[in-house]
Amino acid sequence: MTPELDGDAVADPNYDDEFDAIVVGAGLAGSAAALTMANRGLEVLLIERGSSPGAKNVFGGVCYTPTIRELTDFDGAPLERYVAERRFSMLSRNDETAVSISPGEWHEAPHNDSYTVLRGEFDEWFAEQAVEAGTTLVTSTTVTGLVRKNGRIVGVETDRPDGTIRAPYVVLAEGGNSLVSEGADLKATETRENVAVGVKEVLEFPGRDEVIEDRFRLTDDAGVSYHYFGEGAVGDAFGGGFIYTNDDTVSIGVAYRIEDAVAADQSPEATLNAFKSHPAVAPLVRDARTVEYSAKTIPEGGAESIPDLVHDGAAIVGDAAGLVLNNGVHLEGTNMAVESGYHAGNAIARAADQGRVGAKALQAYPDALERSFVVQNLERYAWMMDAVEADRDLLFEDLPRAFADAGTEYFRMDRTPKEAHAENAKRAVLDAVGGWTGAAKLALRYRKVVT
Amino acid sequence: MSWTIAVGVKQVPDDDEVGIDPDTGRLDRASAPAVMNPPDREALEAALTIRDQVGGEVIAVTMGPPNAKTVLEQAVAMGCDDAVLVTDRAFAGSDTWPTSLTLARTAEALEADVVVCGEETTDSSTGQVPPGIAAHNGWAQLTYVEGVDARPEEDRLAARRDVEGGHELVAAELPVVVAVAYGEFDPRPAGLHRKIYAENDFEPTQWTAEDLEIKEEVGLDVSPTSVGGMETVDPVDRKGEVVDETDDLAEVLTEVSA
Repeated sequence: MTPELDGDAVADPNYDDEFDAIVVGAGLAGSAAALTMANRGLEVLLIERGSSPGAKNVFGGVCYTPTIRELTDFDGAPLERYVAERRFSMLSRNDETAVSISPGEWHEAPHNDSYTVLRGEFDEWFAEQAVEAGTTLVTSTTVTGLVRKNGRIVGVETDRPDGTIRAPYVVLAEGGNSLVSEGADLKATETRENVAVGVKEVLEFPGRDEVIEDRFRLTDDAGVSYHYFGEGAVGDAFGGGFIYTNDDTVSIGVAYRIEDAVAADQSPEATLNAFKSHPAVAPLVRDARTVEYSAKTIPEGGAESIPDLVHDGAAIVGDAAGLVLNNGVHLEGTNMAVESGYHAGNAIARAADQGRVGAKALQAYPDALERSFVVQNLERYAWMMDAVEADRDLLFEDLPRAFADAGTEYFRMDRTPKEAHAENAKRAVLDAVGGWTGAAKLALRYRKVVT
Repeated sequence: MSWTIAVGVKQVPDDDEVGIDPDTGRLDRASAPAVMNPPDREALEAALTIRDQVGGEVIAVTMGPPNAKTVLEQAVAMGCDDAVLVTDRAFAGSDTWPTSLTLARTAEALEADVVVCGEETTDSSTGQVPPGIAAHNGWAQLTYVEGVDARPEEDRLAARRDVEGGHELVAAELPVVVAVAYGEFDPRPAGLHRKIYAENDFEPTQWTAEDLEIKEEVGLDVSPTSVGGMETVDPVDRKGEVVDETDDLAEVLTEVSA
């Protein structure tokens, strides 16, 4: 007896309008949107260009998780270390002046919702949560454009043969380099003053157990977030450097405005190498081997650069919507990505219930985002980029040097009385900021960073 | 006129990820993710090319554990019309003899006119299975095929074969087994809707050793291959010498070759 084929294979499968929504990009914003919609009973198609979610992602290293923790069974999340210490450091050419914060509370779960993660693992896990909730994930597929009908967005085009697929709603979570949204005129191309370039290396320490714990004074799952400013970090550019500890690797990188990379002819590679060679940084990464090198663009236009978030049949979320906060002290994007995906997903689910597809039906998303910390924070610091830009020489070059000089003077060991040392130290700082009046103005200008 | 074209595909450890255990010198296959044998992707392209020329159906076949159905999904995504997973505990330990027997019986059951395979697998590299299928069924075979030219009016498949110093054009009567030369066919990308279908909604037909009536003829016991042993060979110590003058170099070289 000869066995036979089941014979139920579909000759010409077609999924047009089989899904309620298509999400472009399985990063944090995209997977949050997919998960939220799937939880509310929608059929969701999540399209990712990498061979797996996170494969194409680049970010510094700290994931802020208050919303993800609400949306998922967070115990299974692949976390590297929690952030137990934050250190802010000013680097001049050869000096370092630093402030470190390490509250006891950060050692206790949920660790201030701040964890270093490797996105290759974390994004795959987060997308998996969306898949378990019913989302269909398709990888190695790049969305190249949007499909419109009477002006309304009704689907996407991909780089695959037979690559057009239609669905009532499209969520654009394509990241900072948002070619689809720009190509479809949903947002303007950002000027280079408002875009930063970030480069990062992941370093390992072959054959050296516990080297991360020893160098960064850590026990168990504790980790650090070090931020660096000043000419020792990024030369003449406007930006900073960072070091984050993973489980057994260290992420180190710099981010600065593309404008400066062009104008000052300062290559990312050379800038990162100079940062790694700074006398205050080099010992932390001694004997390391680079296992990963990556680069990305970061939208830093702030609140003013947020495009229209909803269109007929589409919503823009995450980095694609410019939802990144960088005010020097706070460097956040992951939490805002998840929050925006969550609100967009909810708005679409509600619109789908009502059978509505217009931009007005999705207005609940920008409204919710407006009320959330995402837009509130961006607006709060909107003034800051301009102020810092105006003061850049002072903040990034003169002040780091002045603080280093002040420290040198204040602690000088010689046969001069300490009164003279203190006076020299004071003068070093006052000279840099323009006397007491300058200091007062500076304090007034930047008081909102901390108050 | 339309042909039934069967394609043999295999799940292998990703050779980019396979490590070698430094202590034993053996391949550490377990740590590597399973992927489709790269030459099989080209076999699929060759099979789909034949279908483009003559019409008919392409059916992907794999013999392996249940999780091997992933490679069948990839085959269906690329354009195969259907797929069969031949799976049975009885197959465990089969070498190329029972493996080619199993695939030969599967090809018979499918009433295949053409069977297309990759030239070899990256995890065992024998290249014996395609000729084995032809031998078990008494069918013609075309090995190291670089190009295919279906001639339905003659009931023959012509192929360009890679031979030493050039190529030859050969036509074989159907049914025929084709082993595709690696590097000659550029696998087509999967269509979007087919990819979604294959990965989410498609289920391959499953056949067992019993279905193929070969339960007693497969497995470790009837596999004639036996591994005599495995040895890690240490690099040979080589003599090194630095000479300052090129004239002296010739002298040293002469000594060695003498």
